[in-house]
Amino acid sequence: MTGAAAIGVDAGSTTCKVVAVDETGALLASRLEATHPRLEEQAAGLITALVGDLGPVEPPPVVATGYGRQLVRGAARRVTEITCHARGVFGALGHGGTLVDIGGQDAKAIRIGEEGRPIDFAMNDKCAAGTGRFLEHTAGRLGVAVADLGPRALGATAEEPISSTCTVFAESEIISLIGRGADLDAIIRGLHRSLVGRIVAMARTVGLGPPLILSGGVALNPGVRAMMEEATGMAVILPPHPQLTGAYGAALIALEG
Amino acid sequence: MTNSLRCPTRAEVVARVQAAGRRVAAVLPYHYPRALLRAHGFHPVEVWGPPGVPRDEGGRHFQAYTCDIVVRATSFLLRGGLDGVDAILVPHTCDALQGMGSVLGDFVRPTPPVLTLYLPRSRRPVDHEFLVAELRRLGEALAAISGRVPAPADWEAAFAAEDAADRALADLYARREGLAVTDREFYTVVRSREFLPAEDFVALAGSLAAGDPPGGVPVMLSGIVAEPLDLFDHLSAMGARVVADDLASGRRRVYPLQDGGDPHTRLATRLLGGPPDPTRGDPIAARARHLREQMGAAGARGLVIYDPKFCEPELFDVPLLRRHLSAAGLPVLHVEVELTGSLTQQTLTRLEAFVETLR
Repeated sequence: MTGAAAIGVDAGSTTCKVVAVDETGALLASRLEATHPRLEEQAAGLITALVGDLGPVEPPPVVATGYGRQLVRGAARRVTEITCHARGVFGALGHGGTLVDIGGQDAKAIRIGEEGRPIDFAMNDKCAAGTGRFLEHTAGRLGVAVADLGPRALGATAEEPISSTCTVFAESEIISLIGRGADLDAIIRGLHRSLVGRIVAMARTVGLGPPLILSGGVALNPGVRAMMEEATGMAVILPPHPQLTGAYGAALIALEG
Repeated sequence: MTNSLRCPTRAEVVARVQAAGRRVAAVLPYHYPRALLRAHGFHPVEVWGPPGVPRDEGGRHFQAYTCDIVVRATSFLLRGGLDGVDAILVPHTCDALQGMGSVLGDFVRPTPPVLTLYLPRSRRPVDHEFLVAELRRLGEALAAISGRVPAPADWEAAFAAEDAADRALADLYARREGLAVTDREFYTVVRSREFLPAEDFVALAGSLAAGDPPGGVPVMLSGIVAEPLDLFDHLSAMGARVVADDLASGRRRVYPLQDGGDPHTRLATRLLGGPPDPTRGDPIAARARHLREQMGAAGARGLVIYDPKFCEPELFDVPLLRRHLSAAGLPVLHVEVELTGSLTQQTLTRLEAFVETLR
């Protein structure tokens, strides 16, 4: 594999992603790993491995993003994930819109302009509510695999309301629901509704408008997608590689120099 | 630093003022009559938290959603941070501070007397009349502590000193684009007005060297208090520069000055004459117009509203301010911070992303 013109690194809180693009911006290769505590070494290792995948080429320029962007050695620039996600979505889809990115420990809503620049954005605070961690934590509590959450939410014939979007308080509610014999799938459906409600409220602060685009690991959850469509009345569009959007945007920025 | 600023700490100022035989009043934010305190023999030293003091002890007296300034200031007092001051003045800036005044007076009962100042929520003639009466009441309370009823010469001297410092503050803002100082240095000087004697403030403000300020994407800062001062270093590293502000600890306290007349009436006119302010119940349209004008005059490309968490007066205004300014094509970022003494990665990312959108 040759022709790599730029590399993007998204050193996220839950996963670390690296992607390489050619001079036209087409994605050539990628790697994704759960984020290690020693992020600096991990990012360097991933870049080395990716360059190895690409064959004997000069290491291309690197742009880093994500919460650990300052730890990425050798990065020509460090750009926030807001800008990189906007650029990544625009590069992948060719248009702007409202991007909702639900990552492991943060969620953001970004209104993307016609040139792929973020016009406005909102992010969750320190609280993990409304993020992938919310689903991951409660899935663990329910003994359900994360990948099964979406299908089970969609397959539920009933829904238990989860009033709190706080991860800790929601867990207390779940314990109460389990204690009174509530159906597990109905609880899972309620959890999705709670998360989507919070995300949509955040997206409305930036002027939620079509097209609605979803990225991040949680974009792979069909239950979240379906409920977002239901809550907003808009079709949800996914970029080709939802988890790599930030890293892809970083690579495109690196390509632009 | 482009200037060799030497600004003493609040503790150093308190020690120096007391060694000189003057009384010290610890003052909570943020509108209060400096000349009245001075005429009665008190030097005001403001308490904005302080940042970094744990909430634990103060938190026992307030709801979890009470702002950091109130809770940390109460912790600071309970830890002995205000031992040795001669009075504590709690202006009724917001419900949280009014609550603090009551909690201190009724339950905590610290050794220094706790004084309150009920600030009106509007600027009508009746509000002015009310404030004049409040200022007289405060003066009587101060006189009861100090045993000193100001003579006309005391008032004259107090107004002369404090007016000079207020003029120096206004002049600092007017000269801003011609000062070779970083944002951090500029706000170090602006905020020294919170505790320096008026004469020292005038000298410090006058010492700033003329020249070109550093470059950067011009932004305006609104909100309560820019803590920690590291905020300005981060903004600078992100490529931004603060060219104007609407901070409670800054530009909102550039008051119009008046000459002569009854001192209480004069002070009331001054306190009610500042720029539009969320703690005064000013209409959103007036605040939005003021911010638009300030941003336009300074060339700011965006507004950062920077508040401590749970600051009710600010939070009430933010959605509508955002709507007004966005409609005028002015981007707005609202961030809420805890006064822990450092900034979280989330806050820094928000700020940096905002600066990126303004480039």
